[in-house]
Amino acid sequence: MRRLFALATVVALSACGAPATDDGTTLVVKTFSQFGYEDLYREYEASHPGVKIKEENIGKLGDYTPKLQQWMQTGKGAGDVVALEEGILVQFMAKPDQFVDLREHGAASLEPNFLPWKWKQAVSGDGKIVGLGTDVGAQGMCYRKDLFAAAGLPADRSDVGALWPTWDAYIEVGKSFKGAKFFDSAGGVFQNVLMQQGDHTYYDTSNKLVIDSNPGVREAWDTTIRMVEAGLSANVDQWSPQWNAGFKNGAFATIPCPSWMLGTIEKQAGPELKGKWDVTRVPGDGAVRGGSFLAVPKQSQHQKEAAELAKFLTSARGQTAAFKSRNNFPSSPQAIDDPVVREFTNPYFGDAPVGKIFGESVKALKPVYLGPDNIAINDRVVNALTAVEQKKLTADEAWSKAVADAQRLVK
Amino acid sequence: MMVRLTLAVAIALSAFPLYWLFVVATRANDVVGDWPPPLLPGPNLWDNVGRLFDAEQANFLLGMGNSALSSAVVTVSVVFFSSLAGFAFAKLRFRGRNALLLVILGTMMIPVQMGIIPLYLIMVELGWQNRLEAIIVPSLVSAFGVFLMRQYAEKAVPDELIEAARVDGCSTFRIYWTVVLPALRPGAAVLGLFTFMGTWNEFLWPLAVLEADNPTVQFSLSQLSTTYYTDYTLMFAGALVSTVPLLVVFVLFGRQIIGGIMEGAIKA
Amino acid sequence: MKTFSERFSPYLFVAPFFVIFAVFGLFPLVYTAWVSVHEWDIAGQGGFVGLDNYVMLFSDPDFWNATCNTIGMLVLATVPQLFCALVLASLLNQKLRGLTFLRMGVLLPIVTSVAAVGIVFSQIFDRDAGMANGLLGLAGFAPIDWHADKWSSWTAIATMVNWRWTGYNALIYLAAMQAVPRDLYEAATVDGASKVRQFFSITVPNIRPAILFTVIMSTIAGMQLFTEPLIFGQGGFAISGGSLRQFQTLSMFMFEKAFRDFDYGYGSAVAWLIFLMITLLAVVNFLITRRSR
Repeated sequence: MRRLFALATVVALSACGAPATDDGTTLVVKTFSQFGYEDLYREYEASHPGVKIKEENIGKLGDYTPKLQQWMQTGKGAGDVVALEEGILVQFMAKPDQFVDLREHGAASLEPNFLPWKWKQAVSGDGKIVGLGTDVGAQGMCYRKDLFAAAGLPADRSDVGALWPTWDAYIEVGKSFKGAKFFDSAGGVFQNVLMQQGDHTYYDTSNKLVIDSNPGVREAWDTTIRMVEAGLSANVDQWSPQWNAGFKNGAFATIPCPSWMLGTIEKQAGPELKGKWDVTRVPGDGAVRGGSFLAVPKQSQHQKEAAELAKFLTSARGQTAAFKSRNNFPSSPQAIDDPVVREFTNPYFGDAPVGKIFGESVKALKPVYLGPDNIAINDRVVNALTAVEQKKLTADEAWSKAVADAQRLVK
Repeated sequence: MMVRLTLAVAIALSAFPLYWLFVVATRANDVVGDWPPPLLPGPNLWDNVGRLFDAEQANFLLGMGNSALSSAVVTVSVVFFSSLAGFAFAKLRFRGRNALLLVILGTMMIPVQMGIIPLYLIMVELGWQNRLEAIIVPSLVSAFGVFLMRQYAEKAVPDELIEAARVDGCSTFRIYWTVVLPALRPGAAVLGLFTFMGTWNEFLWPLAVLEADNPTVQFSLSQLSTTYYTDYTLMFAGALVSTVPLLVVFVLFGRQIIGGIMEGAIKA
Repeated sequence: MKTFSERFSPYLFVAPFFVIFAVFGLFPLVYTAWVSVHEWDIAGQGGFVGLDNYVMLFSDPDFWNATCNTIGMLVLATVPQLFCALVLASLLNQKLRGLTFLRMGVLLPIVTSVAAVGIVFSQIFDRDAGMANGLLGLAGFAPIDWHADKWSSWTAIATMVNWRWTGYNALIYLAAMQAVPRDLYEAATVDGASKVRQFFSITVPNIRPAILFTVIMSTIAGMQLFTEPLIFGQGGFAISGGSLRQFQTLSMFMFEKAFRDFDYGYGSAVAWLIFLMITLLAVVNFLITRRSR
């Protein structure tokens, strides 16, 4: 009972009153998922007396997005530095006025610190710098070494990578593969293929919807459909329990994996599969999926200090530290070439040189322009693919539906 | 016999999901996806619960405390105000009674998810972001509660009792307190239980107005599910532990609720 | 002549509700109406567009799909639920050994944390390793992809809703039944009326207010169904309610528009239409129950 009372007191105390503000500045950093900045905050506080940093994190991106919108709509609550996932960033790029133009805080000279396409994503049409890149979702292909060996295929990562210079080759390997489905779900693979199809996807660079006229989108769609029709997909929704279980029970033999997914695989597949999962290059010329930016909202009371902090966190050194902490793959070429990153190996994946594999994937990539409703449209295309996997629509019906949905959305 | 059998089946169906939740929470992660699924408890409960309370970023204990506090306050307030207003609507005559009741009914039809942004605006004005007041104060009254209490008071409070009390010279509030409230006890107990559960299970609004360092229990669980989504038994343990206080409330007050219902019967 | 206390107490008694509602309920409603006649995207308010959002909504197939789904699931969840609750309550409304235990037993689902409901039922209706398919398999049926079709997803979701709320309604009925005077039953027994007969001619008419209450409440709750289908639909785009929106409800559609597609004006128009539809349904409900009296 006394325990309970003590707990109630703690609750009452914590409920009553924001942290006391002394004469120093408290900068609030809003993040989702894991950015791995804890050590960097401490370091920054030490070198900037009077500055305190408080991170307010929301685990799920899906929970973070409505909150972000609510902060922006009401002009309150966004804190001083706010993390923007790339799909959300593009929503803001057409109307970047809610964020501080970081040119005012000397960010223009930082361009060489970022991969060119990453840099451009956060620069508005009239040259405003809206955000600074953090990580990129560098892609590799994770695969089950033991299942490959059992299927009579080479299992060594460089031999496996050589099996699929292209997605067509990947499909051929999949067709002859026995013992498990070849990959987890069409949606994830589609995204990978799509991001390798030239410099734009659903929108052209003047924000016109070109989903039905851009041959790249159709190409990625057709490629994915061929995989579905060849029966390669296990049709398990990403992040669902059966997807989690699939890593362990061998429901699928390969999965395109961004760098941050390695931790997931390790945890889910468990220690008994150590060394059975491995990682190699992805078919085609590199790929990314996701990645984020830091921006300073206009509503911040400490714009100057916040901009300095954002610059520090996205510097090559900051990105390297975040990579070490959470495997968020850097968007800074200097960080990518940093020996800490380049020589990083992952013991769970048979000491795979993941720093090198992902680095090559990222550097090979050409910039892709996304456009305002990119995420919403992609959601609809992925849903259409799922309907094909569920055999609820033919490929043609699904394609027409995806295009019609996208057009209705943009109208 | 049929009665007993039917009830036994109903109880088995009611209890099975909870029982199974408990079973998985006592197992290790390697049972995930097994068929047939595990049906007997294993030895890992304390290990799973320990990891739950140690989980960074989830602030699980604080979330439980916050939810307990806000649910308790909201429950007391809703029961009090609802029985008061329900009594007025059921038993007192006053101009505009039906119109006001219709307004209350109408407020129940507002889709809750949409109110988030305007409500947040109000909280910004009041300075209640990331504070429990934001969770508690808007919920202090409930249209559902008023309506439930009105429906219940119509049947359960005999007009003669009120008249008798009036003849004795009681003020209207005195009548409420000494005559009506005791007669409303079973209904009030039901309302109290529902209100507590409702507040405890609230998710969207706490997520909108609170931050992870001062969460409610459902918020904590959501945080848990991203950071530890691969840790299946941890999630089960979290879901189980988040149900325990509800069960405790239920076991402590469930007898009273049911006793209250019985008592109401005798009086009526 | 009424006393001061008699005259003003009623207003004082209902005032707290209206004061709090005016601040935390009315403002959001009006605000939402205001937003719904504007272009309103992630960057905030655009221009006034009149009823454009509403006009667009009427030609939006996804909106009508969500309406149809919501009403379908409402029927599938409410009718069996209220019937079972009525039966359960009448079974519990008699002298049995261990009555308290039995009564508490059927109420267990109400006291389950919503997180627990989600996690357990998503396992039960899992396509590859779920219990529902496991049992079907034992009976010799092919496994069902619960998410893929309307009928299967609606069944799964209605099961969740029914599981959670049957005991709740049974409790309301039970509380009302306890207020029915015993002598009515005694007189009926003397007249030789059977238990079933007593149930329909005494219990049901006497708890009519409670039945009306639960019908209206279930309708309102059903029209705003949100948590269960969202829990059921896993993965990143769960808010769309399945690959072909098989189980997207109106509330989910509204949330998707406002918070996923960032079209806050459009989402607000959806919110207002939901509000009007529920009101309409409640009035119809009310009139039907009135008339049949």
